Amino acid sequence: MAKYYDVDDILAEEELVPAVFQHTANGIGLFDSSDDTNKVEAGSKVELPFWLVCELYLRQLVSIRVPPCFDKESKTREEIGADAAHVDLRSRCPYFYELGCKIAPLIGDKTIGPFLLVAFRIRYKEVLIKAHTLTLAVAPKYLTLLTNEEAKLYEAGQSSIAAFKKWRMGGPRLQIAPLLGRKRKPTG
Amino acid sequence: MYGKKASELVKECVSAEPGQLTTFNNDLFAQVIEECNGHLLHLQPLMRKIQEHENKLKDKRRSEDEMAISEDERRKSEAEKTVIQTAMKSDQFGALIHHLSLVRNKRCLMAYVYNRAEVIKSLGWVVDCVLPEEIEEKLSSSEKEYFKNHAATLQSYTSELDLDLTVDMVPPKDPYIKVRVLDDIGEIVLSDQVANLTRHAMLFLRRTDAEQYISQGLMEELAG
Repeated sequence: MAKYYDVDDILAEEELVPAVFQHTANGIGLFDSSDDTNKVEAGSKVELPFWLVCELYLRQLVSIRVPPCFDKESKTREEIGADAAHVDLRSRCPYFYELGCKIAPLIGDKTIGPFLLVAFRIRYKEVLIKAHTLTLAVAPKYLTLLTNEEAKLYEAGQSSIAAFKKWRMGGPRLQIAPLLGRKRKPTG
Repeated sequence: MYGKKASELVKECVSAEPGQLTTFNNDLFAQVIEECNGHLLHLQPLMRKIQEHENKLKDKRRSEDEMAISEDERRKSEAEKTVIQTAMKSDQFGALIHHLSLVRNKRCLMAYVYNRAEVIKSLGWVVDCVLPEEIEEKLSSSEKEYFKNHAATLQSYTSELDLDLTVDMVPPKDPYIKVRVLDDIGEIVLSDQVANLTRHAMLFLRRTDAEQYISQGLMEELAG
């Protein structure tokens, strides 16, 4: 419950997970079914968001497949194994680590944990280096590869460098409240 | 797909710069609530059906207990019972999905309101009671009310303590700082002088006087 209001946690649970219905469900128009029965038959294959899948799976109403980016036979695993730092994780799953951490205990796949750890370790190092060295012109291109969490780390790295420089060189202490933005009123 | 709109609402929260507000999305907010009502409308008949199925099962059991029936009839009634049970399970399944969607939507709505409220609360520390226009138009009416009450509470606490809590936490090296005025403010009585604050004027002010203008973006501090 600690994360009830956490927007990132909410959005991580929005990621889709492939699932198969084990029972027929009445009264739901999930998939704009053309007939009026509003029924989802047993055996239907669908992609459902994690928040729904999780509860249904615990009650054994659906069976789930591991999302492609965590699958043992998937390309993602091979690519991470080859060169983790340059894999485009954002397009595969912007909440890669969060979703991984949620799904691993659910399906009891022991290989996901170490896989995430390896990926994070290698990529973290790269993120930190890039945060300190990249110029503004190249940064946007690199940022498109990062998951949400990594992008935050990247920004944290940059802001700490900026803070360090400010501390060393000195600068104005009082500043406009960040909420009001840096907009100045137009002249005249 | 259920819960899609609610997540769009939350995404809006995330896409805003940290500490900044976006315009309150009345439209989407209402749509999500509409969706919740839809779930409720689906949920109620399903719950009724489940109740009916349960009653039927109970009746069946009672009649079995009361009357001694032949083997053949018993088998038939067993088969009927399983049919009812599967139907009930399907209804329960559907009801569960609606229930979970409701809970999810609620969480998204709550998070949206809560995270905005947090930002609004922090506003109370930087601007005195009066919101700048460009921010005020982004708030919903209840949020405006919330800000007003929060700022009032903060003020009454400050006056009770007889200590201005909104000033900078780090003690200054020099009581005076050099500032540049960014906007025409006009003649103002400060604690030690009467200053005519015109645009682009540069002057030495008492730090405590300057602080509120700087945080409102009307002045900037000049280093060195």
